[in-house]
Amino acid sequence: MTRPASPVPVPHDVCIHPGPALLEGVADGPSLAAHRERFGDLPAVALPDLLRLVRGVGLRGRGGAAFPFAVKLEAASRRRRPVVVVNLSEGEPASAKDSALALARPHLVLDGAVAAARALGSRELHLVVTGERPRVRLSIRQALEERGGDVAVHVHTATPRFVAGQARAVIELLSGRPNLPVTAWTPEAVDGLRGRPTLLSNAETWAHVGLLVLRGEGAYRRHGTDAEPGTALLTLTSPGEDPHVREVAYGTRLRDVLPEAAQGLPALVGGFHGSWATWPTLASARVSVPGLAALGTPLGAGVLLVPDADTCPVELTSRIVTFLAGQSAGRCGPCLNGLPALAAAVRDLATGWGGASRAGELAALVRGRGACAHPDGTARLVRSLLGTLSHEVAEHAAGGCTHASAAVAS
Amino acid sequence: MSRLRVDWPSCQARGLCHELLPELVELDEWGYPIVGGEVTDDLVADARAAVRACPRLALRLVAR
Repeated sequence: MTRPASPVPVPHDVCIHPGPALLEGVADGPSLAAHRERFGDLPAVALPDLLRLVRGVGLRGRGGAAFPFAVKLEAASRRRRPVVVVNLSEGEPASAKDSALALARPHLVLDGAVAAARALGSRELHLVVTGERPRVRLSIRQALEERGGDVAVHVHTATPRFVAGQARAVIELLSGRPNLPVTAWTPEAVDGLRGRPTLLSNAETWAHVGLLVLRGEGAYRRHGTDAEPGTALLTLTSPGEDPHVREVAYGTRLRDVLPEAAQGLPALVGGFHGSWATWPTLASARVSVPGLAALGTPLGAGVLLVPDADTCPVELTSRIVTFLAGQSAGRCGPCLNGLPALAAAVRDLATGWGGASRAGELAALVRGRGACAHPDGTARLVRSLLGTLSHEVAEHAAGGCTHASAAVAS
Repeated sequence: MSRLRVDWPSCQARGLCHELLPELVELDEWGYPIVGGEVTDDLVADARAAVRACPRLALRLVAR
C-alpha cells in the first residue's frame, strides 16, 4: 500500500532568522569554534544546580506536550544509570525548528544534552535523526566529529513516518525493534530504554538546557515574561514557500510574527495535530503555552501554517487527515480502522457528499484509544475544523466553496 | 479506585471483555473495546475476570 504524501512536504531548505537567544548570531556558522567564542566553555553543573536552573525558569518540553522538564529530570535521577536521548526525528513535516537547530546551532543542543548526561552520571547519550532530513544527519555528524571524544554518543536513524518520533517509538528504535509506538505503562523517565530511566527530549528543549547552563538564569530571563521566561522557536509555513524558523520571546503578539500575507487568514496552530484559529483569534493572541491552550489552540511544537487565500482550509484539512491516516503504525485497532474512516468522512465533507456529524462522531470515537496520541491529535484537528471553521464546513455541506482550489479538489 | 486500560497494539478485537463486562466495555463498529470510567467496587470481580479472560492479554486493571 502506498501512503499518501504530505500536503506540506518536508522542507529541503529552511530560512533561519537570527533570534534573541538560541539563534543569536547564527550567521557565525555552526562550527564548534564559533559556538565556544559566543557561548564560552561548557561548565560542569551538578544535578541539584541543573534542577534549580530548569525549575527556576519553568522550562517545558518543546516537542508538543509542554511537559515540565524539571519533573522528568528529577524522575530520571532517582534510579541508577539514566540514559539521555536527543530526539531530532521531527516527524511533523510542517515543523523545521529542530532541523534548524541541528543545522545552525548543533553544539548548543549537544551542550545541553552533555551537561545533563554529566549531571546524571549517564554513560549513554543517544541522538535520533531522521532519514527524511539528510542535511540534519550530516550536520550532526560533523558537529560530533568536531567535539572529539568528550562523551560517547550513539546516532540512530528514525524511520520516515509521522509517529516515529513519538517517545516510546524512539525507545523501540534504540532497543532494536521496529520504530513504532507501544503502550507506555510507566513514563520513560522512570522506566525506558532497557528498563533504565530515560531522559528523552527534543532538540529545542536540549538547546534551552544548553543556553541555561552556558548563560545562566539571569540572561535567560532577559527575554519573555515573568510568568513565562525565555523564547520559543516557531516554524512559519505558507504552502509553496520554504518554511521560516523564527525565535520569539514568550509574550510576543502573533500578529507581529506572522508574515504580512497571512493577515486576515485563518491558520493552523500546532501543526498537523493542531487546531485551526481564525484571524481575529490570531490577531489578539500572544506566544504563550498556557495562553494559547486557553484559546483552544495549543502551541504544540510551534508550527504555524497559513494556507494562502486560494487554498480552502476544509480541503487542506481533508488532505492532512488522509495523510495522517496513512501514517498510522497500523497496530492499534481504533487508529487502523478509525483514521481511514475519519479521513473518508472529512473527504466527504470537503466534496459536499456528507455532513459534519459522521466526522464529529468518529473524531470523538478514536480519541484516547491508542498507544500514542496519533488518534487524539488527528481528532483534535478535525474537531477544530468543525468548531472553529464551522462556516466553511457549512458552505461545503451546501455544495459550495469560496476558495479557488476547490476546483482541483481531489 | 481503579480503571481498565487497554494495551492497544495487543488488542485484536476478540470481544471477550465486552461479553464478561458489558457494564463497562462497549464495542465500536470494528469490534474494539470502548472502555468506560471508574471500576466501582461491585464490578471489580467482573473486571478481574475480563482481564484474566483476554486471549491477547491486552486488558489491565490499573490503579488511579
